[in-house]
Amino acid sequence: MAIRWSRRQFLAALAATGLSLRVPALMAAPGQKAITRAIPSSGESLPVIGMGTWRTFNVGGDEQLVAERTRVLKTFFEWGGTLVDSSPMYGSADDVMGEALDSLDAHDKVFSANKIWARDGSATGEQDSTLRRKWGIERFDLQQIHNLLAWESHLETLKQMKADGDIRYLGITTSHGRRHSDLARIMEQGPLDFVQLTYNVLDREAEQRLLPLARERGIAVIANRPFQGGNLFRRFQSESLPGWAEEAGCSNWAEFFLKFIVSHPAVTCAIPATTRVEHMEENMGALYGRLPDEQQRRRMADYVAGL
Amino acid sequence: MTDADWLSYSLSDFLMFGPEVFLRLFVRINQDVWPWQAIAVVMMVLIAGLLVRGNTAAKRAILLLLAAAWVWSGAGFLMEYYGPINSPATWFGWAFILQGSLLTVAALVCPWERTARRAAQRWQAGTGWLVVTALLPFLVVAQTGNWQSLALFGITPDLTVAASVPCLLMFPRRVRWVFLLLPLLWALFSMATLWALGIRLMLVLPAVTLVLAIAGFRFSPRPAQSPG
Ligand SMILES: NC(=O)c1ccc[n+]([C@@H]2O[C@H](COP(=O)([O-])OP(=O)(O)OC[C@H]3O[C@@H](n4cnc5c(N)ncnc54)[C@H](OP(=O)(O)O)[C@@H]3O)[C@@H](O)[C@H]2O)c1
Repeated sequence: MAIRWSRRQFLAALAATGLSLRVPALMAAPGQKAITRAIPSSGESLPVIGMGTWRTFNVGGDEQLVAERTRVLKTFFEWGGTLVDSSPMYGSADDVMGEALDSLDAHDKVFSANKIWARDGSATGEQDSTLRRKWGIERFDLQQIHNLLAWESHLETLKQMKADGDIRYLGITTSHGRRHSDLARIMEQGPLDFVQLTYNVLDREAEQRLLPLARERGIAVIANRPFQGGNLFRRFQSESLPGWAEEAGCSNWAEFFLKFIVSHPAVTCAIPATTRVEHMEENMGALYGRLPDEQQRRRMADYVAGL
Repeated sequence: MTDADWLSYSLSDFLMFGPEVFLRLFVRINQDVWPWQAIAVVMMVLIAGLLVRGNTAAKRAILLLLAAAWVWSGAGFLMEYYGPINSPATWFGWAFILQGSLLTVAALVCPWERTARRAAQRWQAGTGWLVVTALLPFLVVAQTGNWQSLALFGITPDLTVAASVPCLLMFPRRVRWVFLLLPLLWALFSMATLWALGIRLMLVLPAVTLVLAIAGFRFSPRPAQSPG
């Protein structure tokens, strides 16, 4: 009798054998290739779904929850994810991430993205080294200035750090649609590898200026709050997906929301956050299969707006 | 940041953790403290007994027990457990230790006036205090459905503060505000946090503190009438 396994069953079996972390991306989705985008400044490719840690990884010294979050991270890697975003603003998230990476022995699997969040413009190097120690890594792949705080001086230091090989990429972040004109100015001036901003099926202000500008200037874009902090599920999960969602490559709401974002040509990756393994699996589903085309994207936005 | 930027934030944007992590703080501290919860229970019974007694020595002893409760919940729950996920909790932890120190000083140096409570009133005050202080911890259990999350006086801040405020009414009004300030601040902070977390049932705890503290700013115990 032929046994047919779903992707999820296949992964569960692999996880049970402890094999999956050793052969992760290859096995993540049998027969399917993860969708990736090139970082414009280097050409290095990045899976279009990363993950965030705001709120979800701030669990303090709670060993039970640290173990649960470690399973979430393990699932992320098993499905072929690499970019993890955090910030010193997120309480104990950096310590917890360090513990999780240690117990999964996954320091070489992560594309590490963190932030400098300090009013004191001279604190860049010190904060970066504290964060490196917490994560147990030699350098961050991406270091970003959090919410434009003291950005002039931090940017100068980050440029130097990049030149010295202490970080690989530098960037700047904002969220909730704030300070877009300031961000646009910085994007026009400085040599940025990445910008991080809020973009999702409801918050689409970035389409006006920032996303076209990022394309023009060759800056990679990380989309934060892809589920509007979870509001999108609270508002729409009880509604049914449109009949044409499968054609657009979406088999559930998580894929619908995430594929809408990452199918924008300027977006490099989206970074949903979750506390739950089953949600991580749903979210990572958006890393595979078809992406909606331009016309389908418009239909997706109209459909949600009409609900 | 401009005014418009500030207005675009909601209360929950300042919250760095979810309800699950917060409610597990109660379970974790109970697991770690076990079986020393017995000390908290003994402290509660002692305070109730001392409220019934009501003489000057009893008042001093009550304040010393309250001081221990503030220091314990401040250094333990707030600084060890809550602080790592929410930095203002660490600052509150220090303030709780300071409040405990002030209560100790007050216990030792404050000259107490005799108040005119009859034995029956003192009995009511003591038993009433004990019943309420013993029942309030179950609010957290009702919220979580887990008896291990019992929020005891002396161990958790909301209970310590709510149970302290009625005892602080023993201070004459002119100095009482010094001791009511932190309970008031804590109640506001706790209410804002619980509201943003969507934990509605537990709001009763800081609400009790708030009502009692506001009443405490106004209420004056009647001084004893000198006989003859
Ligand atoms: N200024 C900045 O730099 C900035 C600002 C905001 C965000 N960020 C970054 O962006 C990341 C993402 O944003 P965010 O955390 O604010 O919000 P988000 O990713 O839009 O939403 C997270 C919420 O969605 C829920 N969720 C996730 N997957 C789900 C699923 N499949 N089904 C149902 N619910 C699901 C999660 O709940 P469960 O836990 O129950 O899954 C969580 O409550 C942050 O973690 C952070 O790294 C950066």
